[in-house]
Amino acid sequence: TGTDAVHVEEEQRLRTELRERFLRSLILMSNKEVYFSMYERVQVQAKFGASDIDILNFQVSDLQTPLGVQKEAILRCQDIISYSFDL
Amino acid sequence: MQDWCKKRPHEWHKYINQEVRVTAHDKNEYQGWVFTVDPVSGSVVLVTLHGQQSTSVRVVMGHAVRDVEVLKEGDEEIAQQLNALFMPAGSQVLTN
Repeated sequence: TGTDAVHVEEEQRLRTELRERFLRSLILMSNKEVYFSMYERVQVQAKFGASDIDILNFQVSDLQTPLGVQKEAILRCQDIISYSFDL
Repeated sequence: MQDWCKKRPHEWHKYINQEVRVTAHDKNEYQGWVFTVDPVSGSVVLVTLHGQQSTSVRVVMGHAVRDVEVLKEGDEEIAQQLNALFMPAGSQVLTN
């Protein structure tokens, strides 16, 4: 029906706005030092490079872990609880 | 609360520009102004404003979110501050 179509369109518009904002937050993060809180209370930090299109993985450089520094690494987003960076 | 990742876009949209406390996996708690919620993953982008000196962004992954509690309603000024941080200068809507 017509009202359903309007409803779907509005949901899509809100979805687009939310997603655009999220992608802007990723752009802002590139080449910044990012702190990651992982499961098992592990904290690591690295320079953020890029994400894949599904945002399932982060590519980072100079990953500082409790066991040493990894020059290049991929972090799986499902292993991350939260991450933060300064503007 | 209902599974955070399964909420509808209009439910997430209501949190934009609100100050919230997010409780995540392992009793981690984070506080800040919501810039957005990623509609694909449910990840919450929080901004902490420390006066003029520094601003930080924390993203809580959707799969780790347990609860989101609104602490304070944001006003137009907060909305503008958040937009100014993320939006390129050319795309900002100028008034007066």
